[in-house]
Order: sequence, then structure tokens, then C-alpha cells
Amino acid sequence: MIARLAKLVTLWVLSAVALLPQQTQAASEKSEGTVVKDAQYGEVLFYFYQGEYFPAIVRLLAAQEKNQLENHVNESELLLGGLYLSYGHHLYAAEIFERLLADNVEPEIRDRTWFFLSKIWHQRGYLTESQDALNNIQGELPKVLESERQMLQAQILIDERQYEQAIAMLQAWKGKNEWASYAKFNLGVAMVRSGRVDAAAKILDDLGNLDPYNEELSSIRDKANLALGYAYLQDGQPIAAKAPLQRVRLEGPFSNKALLGVGWADAEKDNFRRALVPWMELRNRDLLDSAVQESMLAIPFAMAKLDSISQAADHYLNAVEAFYEEANRIDRTIEHIETGALLDDFLDEDPLETTGWYWKLDDLPEGPESRYLFHLLATHSFQEGLKNYRDLNYLRRNLEDWQKNIGVYRNMLDTRELAYNERLPRIEDSLERADLDGMVSRKLDFDARLNSIEQSGDSLALADQREFELWGEIITLERNPALAADIPEAQEVRDKIRLLKGVLQWDLDKEFKSRLWKIRKDVQDTGQALVETRRSRRNVDETMRNEPLTFDGFNARVDGLNPRIDALKIDVDDAMGRQRAFLQSIAVEELRAQQQRLNTYSVQARFALAAIYDLSATVGDASQ
Amino acid sequence: MAPVHAEDPAPMDTDSVVAMSQSADEDAAQERAQFRSLDEDVQSLKKEVLDLNRDLFLLEEELLFPANSQVAFFISMDVGEYFDLDSVNLKIDGKEVSNYLYTEREVGALLRGGVHRVHMGNLKTGDHELIAIFTGKGPHVRDYRRGATMSFNKGIGAKYLELEISDRVKKQQPEFVIKEWE
Repeated sequence: MIARLAKLVTLWVLSAVALLPQQTQAASEKSEGTVVKDAQYGEVLFYFYQGEYFPAIVRLLAAQEKNQLENHVNESELLLGGLYLSYGHHLYAAEIFERLLADNVEPEIRDRTWFFLSKIWHQRGYLTESQDALNNIQGELPKVLESERQMLQAQILIDERQYEQAIAMLQAWKGKNEWASYAKFNLGVAMVRSGRVDAAAKILDDLGNLDPYNEELSSIRDKANLALGYAYLQDGQPIAAKAPLQRVRLEGPFSNKALLGVGWADAEKDNFRRALVPWMELRNRDLLDSAVQESMLAIPFAMAKLDSISQAADHYLNAVEAFYEEANRIDRTIEHIETGALLDDFLDEDPLETTGWYWKLDDLPEGPESRYLFHLLATHSFQEGLKNYRDLNYLRRNLEDWQKNIGVYRNMLDTRELAYNERLPRIEDSLERADLDGMVSRKLDFDARLNSIEQSGDSLALADQREFELWGEIITLERNPALAADIPEAQEVRDKIRLLKGVLQWDLDKEFKSRLWKIRKDVQDTGQALVETRRSRRNVDETMRNEPLTFDGFNARVDGLNPRIDALKIDVDDAMGRQRAFLQSIAVEELRAQQQRLNTYSVQARFALAAIYDLSATVGDASQ
Repeated sequence: MAPVHAEDPAPMDTDSVVAMSQSADEDAAQERAQFRSLDEDVQSLKKEVLDLNRDLFLLEEELLFPANSQVAFFISMDVGEYFDLDSVNLKIDGKEVSNYLYTEREVGALLRGGVHRVHMGNLKTGDHELIAIFTGKGPHVRDYRRGATMSFNKGIGAKYLELEISDRVKKQQPEFVIKEWE
């Protein structure tokens, strides 16, 4: 057995699967060697290491089917689980892990794999499965993952609305890092949602006062302050709301909403002059932001409160116009999305080089709709849905490619069958003419004759043509009656003939053994060739018997695969349609919500404007 | 002067920060259920397409390279400190059958223990000669081109040959060996 060293054990492959891609590379450098004993196993690894999970899985399944992985039976099954996981084929990965993880893998790798699976399931909304996978973790994960595990656990509890358990868990949290902060933030928001503002305030206030040492923590801090500020505002506590809102960074992504909230906190206390300060700051910011939109109403609202009626009217008019234009843009975007073009844009931006769970859309495609859909990308539903859509698109192309190939195979088979049927009569004819049994019998006769020659020492029997003719001539001369005369000349010729005959006889005797050996060898070779010929003949006969069956077998497979491809294409198209509709509905829903908000603002602006005009008219009438 | 403003409560964009209503949770749960149902369909389709690909892969192989005449050549790498592979050229009985250019990603996969089937073909039973030319960067990043040759006998049944690139540490040179994969 020739050993080929792969730079990792298959069990490590599994652990590599359970890491982030950048961690995988680092881990590979530290891993131990293992021996690749089956070429097909090494081939699967070749594709796996390139992140080409689909071809790796296909090769592994094919090699398993043909029993080509005899030396890697368990490893290959676990590798398949890992590949399924990387490919986002999580339900089938779990089936393998349920079966094999317990007994075949080191506890650390096993736990890490369950964690990874749990994470995928959570992202895909399989909450029960995600919790089950977490329950399968028996030990403590490496530090970097342990926090994430606890965060995941807390998030599952929050998603399941089991707030008490989530609180208890988070309170017992030992580490102080980004994960703990994320979990606390999510918990705080969940509690606000459930109306438990006071309990949430404590959690969010803690986060809102933390001393951030990186951008992530600064961002969490801002979000917590924002959430708390708005929770207070909703709860009718504008004074309490101001402090957290003012803690939000002025240049951060949450500053618009914070500025708006600070303004409302002042407005609630009838301090409209102060409220105008943050709101006027918002006026020059991007109108796409809902806080900026709202500020366009808040400013004239405050101005009216401060009796700057004509200024307020101008601002309301501007707002109505801006909302109208924005609503029209959103309308056009919705139309664009409903044509299905949005998802095509997503796919165009990203060639199908990779598939699977690791894929992530980082940039939105260029286009009018992108500006409205930024935060959709951050949602699991959209990202995971997009992954599925992309995977389905890959499957579709795969099926189309195979369908073309099937056509080629069909032609190939037909041509091969035609050629076979054309050649068959000629072959049958020549086989019929080839008398193999006769040849064997002649060979046996020849053997017997050689034996007899050997026994009798008949060297003349092995003479070549020239010698034989010479011998014949000598015998003819010998029998010449003229030579029988008793005269000296005849005697002299008889002596010469005797001499010639003796020389020839001597030569024949001398060559006899070597000639006999050579002829025996030739006969033996002929015998060997006859045996080969007989074997070939048997093969030909067998092929002739089997070939129609082979054709039938291939024909059945090709004929059976085509309908399978057709049926799957229909299913994939159908699933793509549903997935597309789902994603479009999320996007359109998002845009409709934005449009609804604009419409509401627009109505409010018009109503306020009408009230201003009414008031002006009333004042005018009164003054006349 | 009477205050001039709508009687409705002042607009407040709180939705995007703290979703207040129960319906937000319900919508999320509904969206999750809808996603899950689609996802389960996608999972099952993936399984079916993978199985189909397996069957097609096997059909293709059996059709194009019947077991009796099948011959396959695999490239493997061990260590690879002294050689950075660019391409491999294969000739069987003097006829070029493959000229494969490797990408960086593929070389990485080889270095980590992957094995690449660089060529698969059909050969008659009997004696044959394989010549492999390896091109790349050798020690000190110099252009490097080396050949390896092997005579082999193709009997009945598939034949696998391995072209292994390894390091000869003593000479600080790469080594190219062709052997039968048993």
C-alpha cells in the first residue's frame, strides 16, 4: 500500500468544517498528517479544500456507491456530514452526525460540530433543532466559541419568549465581551417589546454606560442607548429619555434617530426651541432615513408651536413635496422588484463560483432599490433565503448542463449500438470460418508426429526445403541404373554420392536436436496462441452475449435519467419561484412599510398645513 | 394663539428601534415558518439533485471509460517546499493526452493532501509508456521543468497511476515519482 500524506486527519476535516473559513486555513497548518489510502478519497479532499462542496459531495457519493473508499469507511461518512454542513445541507448532515458523532470523534470536535449545526439551524429559524443541537454539547467549547454558544442559547430563549430563563442565564454570564453585550441588548429589546420597560431599563442602561474598547461595543452601546431612550419616550418619561439618547455618538449610524428622539424629549416638555436644535441638524441629512423624514414634520410642528406660522407652512410644503417624490421613487422600485429583476441583479453581481453556507452577500447590487434595502441584508431570513435562491439557481444550471450531456450520451450509445450491429454479422461470419477445434486437433497431431520423429531419430523429417531436395536428388542419382555398372567411372560417382549422402546425413543429424527443440518451441507457442485464441473467443462469445444486455442497461439508465432531470427541473423552478416570491415579498413589504410611513407623514403634513391656512384665514377675517 | 398642529399624537419613528407590538413577533414567527417550509423543500431538492449527480457521474464514467480499459492518473504532493507547481503535461506512448495548468487554489488543495485526477482515459491491454513533464518554480524561485517516465502494463481492469511530487530534503530539490496506486 502506498501512503499519501494528507495534511490533516479526516476528523480534523470535520473540525475544520466547524470553523470559519479563515480559521480553517490556520488550523490546517497545525494539523497532523494522515494517510490517504484510496485515490478517490484524496480526490474528494481536493475539491473540499477548494471550497467546492457540491462536486466533492458528488464524488464522495459516487465512490461510496462503487465501494472505492474501503480504507476510509467511517472517515468518509463523517467527511460527508462535514461537506453537507458546509454546503448548507444541514438536515442530512445532522442525520450523519446523530449516527456517527458519538462514537467516532473526539469530544471537542463533536461539541464544536454540534455548535456549528446549532448556529446554522438558528439562522434558518429551526429553533427546536437548534436547541437540541446545543443540548448535545457535553463539554465546554474553546473560549472564543463558548461566549458565542451562550449568546446563541440566550437568543434561542429570547426567540422562544422565555425571558425569565434568558435573564437568569445572562445574569450568570461570567465573561464580559461583545457576545455578552449582544445577548444583553437583544434581551433588553425583547423585554421592551413585551412591555417590561423597567426591567429592560436596567439591562439597557448598563450597556449604555459601558466603556467601549472597539467599534462593535461602541455600536452596541449606541443601540442600547437608543432603545432605552425610545422605550422611555414611549412610556411617557421624556426626561429620563434624554440622558441615554444624548449618549449616542453624533457621527454614528444611530445618530439620526437619537437626534430625533432628543428633540421629542424636549418637545414633550414643551421646550420647542431646544427641540429645534437637533431637528434642524437632521434637516440636511439623507432623506432616505426615516428619522430625517420625520424631522421634516417635527420642525414645522415646533415652529408652529413657537408661532412662526409662515415658516412652518413653508416647511410643511417642502415636506409634502419631498414625501411625494420619495413615495414615487419607492413605487418605481416596488415595480422593479415585482418584475423579479431584483434577484437577477443579486445573482449577476455574484458569479456562481461558490455555493453553500459560507456564502454571504457583502454588497448590494447597483440599482434604485438597493438604497432602500440595506438593513434587509442584515436579516437572517433575507440572507438565508438568498443563499437558498442562489443554491437553487446552481442546481438549475447543473441540471441544464447534465441534460445537454444526456443528449450526447444518447447519441453516443446509439452510434455505438449501430456500429456494433453493423460489425456483428462480419464478426460472426469470420468466427464461423475460424475452425479453432480443427487447429487444436492439428496441433495435437503435430505433437504426436514430433514425438515419433524424436523416437525414431528421423532427422530427414526435420530437413529444410533445400536439404530435402538435395536428399531427393542424391536418392535419384543413387537409383540411377547407369551407376550400377561395374566400371571405375561408375564406382567413382557412387563414392561421390555416398560421400555427399554421408555429409548431408551428418549435417541433418547434427542439427536434429536443435531443430527438434525449435520446432517443439514453435509448436508450443502455437499451442499457447491457440489457448489465448480460445480464451479470446470465449471473451468474444461472452461479449456478444452480454453486449445487448449492456446496451439495454445503459439505455435504461440514460432513458431513466432524462425524466428524472425533467422532473427535478420542474421542482427546482417551482422552488425558485416560491423562494423568489418569498424574498420579493419581504423586500416589497419593507418598501410598503416605508411608503406607508411616508403617506402617513404626508397626510399629517397636509392636515397641519390645512390647519395653518384655516387659522390664517380666521385671523385675517378677524382683523378685517 | 391656538397651537397649530395636528391633533394626532406627534409622529414618532419608534418602530425601527423598538418594535412595540406583539404583531411584530407574530410576523417574525410567521416569516420563520414560511422560510422553514421553503428551506425544507430546498434541502430535499438538494438531496435529489445530489443523488442524480451521483448517478450521472457514474454513468458518464462507465460509459466513457469502461472498467476494462480505464486508466487514471492522479497528482499528489507531499510537502512541496522546493517546488511550486504550475502545470503538468502527460504523454502516453508518445501522444499528448493532458496539459493541465494549476490555479493557486488547486495547488493549495494539493499541498493540504488533496489528490487530483489529472487525466482519465482508455488504453488497450499491454505495455505502455507514460511521460510526465512538471513545470513550475523550483528552489530559489527559479523556473523548473522536470520529467518522469514509467513503463507500465495495462491488464484487464482499471489501472491507477500516481504522480507524486515530494521533497528530497538532503538535496534540497523536489522529486517526481510515478508509481502504481495499488
